[in-house]
Amino acid sequence: MWVWFSKLGSPKWFYELSGKWLPWLIAAMVIFMTIGLVWGLVFLPPDYQQGFTSRILIVHVAVAGTSLAFFPLMLVAGTITLVWRMKLADMVAKHAAILGAWFSFITLATGSLWGSVMWGTWWEWTDSRLVSMLFQLFLLLGVISLRSALEDSETAAKACALLSIVGCINVVIIKYSVEWWNTLHQVASPVSLDPSSPNGPQFWIATLIMIVAVYLFLSVSLILSTRNEILERERRSQWVQDLVLKN
Amino acid sequence: MLDAIQFSTWAEFIDMGGYGFNVWSVYALFAILVAANLILPWRKKQKIVRQLRHRLTLDAEIQSEDSSDGD
Amino acid sequence: MTEKQTTTSAAFLATLKRDLLIAFKKKNDIVNPFMFFIIVVSLFPIGISPESDRLTEIAAGVIWISVLLASMLSMDNLYRSDFEDGSLEQLLLSPHPLFFLVLAKNISHWLVSGLPVVLVSPILAYMLALPTEAYGTLVLSLLLGTPIMSLVGSIAVALTVGLGSRGLILAVITLPMSVPVLIFGTLAVQSTLNSQSPVGYLSLMLVMLSVSVSLAPLASAAALKISVN
Repeated sequence: MWVWFSKLGSPKWFYELSGKWLPWLIAAMVIFMTIGLVWGLVFLPPDYQQGFTSRILIVHVAVAGTSLAFFPLMLVAGTITLVWRMKLADMVAKHAAILGAWFSFITLATGSLWGSVMWGTWWEWTDSRLVSMLFQLFLLLGVISLRSALEDSETAAKACALLSIVGCINVVIIKYSVEWWNTLHQVASPVSLDPSSPNGPQFWIATLIMIVAVYLFLSVSLILSTRNEILERERRSQWVQDLVLKN
Repeated sequence: MLDAIQFSTWAEFIDMGGYGFNVWSVYALFAILVAANLILPWRKKQKIVRQLRHRLTLDAEIQSEDSSDGD
Repeated sequence: MTEKQTTTSAAFLATLKRDLLIAFKKKNDIVNPFMFFIIVVSLFPIGISPESDRLTEIAAGVIWISVLLASMLSMDNLYRSDFEDGSLEQLLLSPHPLFFLVLAKNISHWLVSGLPVVLVSPILAYMLALPTEAYGTLVLSLLLGTPIMSLVGSIAVALTVGLGSRGLILAVITLPMSVPVLIFGTLAVQSTLNSQSPVGYLSLMLVMLSVSVSLAPLASAAALKISVN
């Protein structure tokens, strides 16, 4: 276990291993995404309450659910950076923050596109999920701007790791306090906002497929960025130079 | 299989039961998310490899010149 | 160095005393956040409406947000001058647990920039037409909430202490973290106005305060070690 762990910390080992995984991950991503999107756009029957807007939900729920994974991921990566000083964890964390901001933003945008149909408004402060997602985006942007402000990469790695840990705790507190705040300010919402309202099994299978597809996409994108980071940071090492000259 | 298709004409497909703008915008945003976060890292890699190779060949040339001078 | 052994509590008190002395000598650190708070609050009636009904509605929120901004802006100096004159490194080298020294600095910051603002808040609450029965809750919630801001903000300040120009990065990092405090602080006042008991919210803030007191200085200490190394 320990050998495996410290091996994984070696950028070279990760680069080689991820190179073997990538084609399979990409293939799986393409398959799941094609099935999910085609099913969502062409085959999914209209919901009896929401009509074709359930097609929005498939994508929105998949992206929103996945974007909740970023802070836990950064918490783990941050802990590894601080405790074991593993460089690889920081490389992953750096790109997780950026990708997480993308995900949060798309979640907000697709959420308000759905909301504009369901609630008749693009933004609704009474929906606690939208509000806490907004603050998750802010916290992620804070981590990103801290990293870009700090020049020394060693300091930046540790500082961002610490901020990610604090941020992850904060996201949880914000989520629950916003939910609480929301129940007290609840104005009768036009339609039940609960996505578990009757949608039929078809909807849930399609959503599940999209969730798997989005997770695969997340891994592929994160691995691609991490590999770039490895090439950049290790550009003086012999194995990177050999690799570059070889192909 | 074909019975399950929810649309009979293209116009219907574009219209999405009146919610065309919202539905297609969401899929467009999703496409941007996926495309951007796959294409950008991919192009970055091309750039890194190109620059590194350029530098390495320059280094190699300088070295070979140095060694030929020494002869 | 003399081999005089000091206890941790003596070191804690000495740090606290030193920071307070410096603040009182410089005066700006005390006066500016205070003035900032009063000015920001005074801008709201001009920007929104002079009608007391509308002011009553927003009073608690306006005061709370202005307090957050004032506390965040005053934070900039928390470790900066110590970092520049090298005394921060001395602090890190001290044999005493950094936790208590950081806590002393945070307490001093709160006494200098948080407490005066809290004490003046009833006057501003009056100017914003907040009903009298909510004054007690407002002051209590601020008393519990401002130290949380000092403690949590200190982490962000410690992380950015090495930066030449921080500008707005401190705000970008700290302000989102203040959401829970803002929510419970304003809810407490709101519930008093609706003639409900604010005890639940205030005790939640007390819980948040005790968690911050025990955890935030740890994070600040770690952050200082990272920034100074």
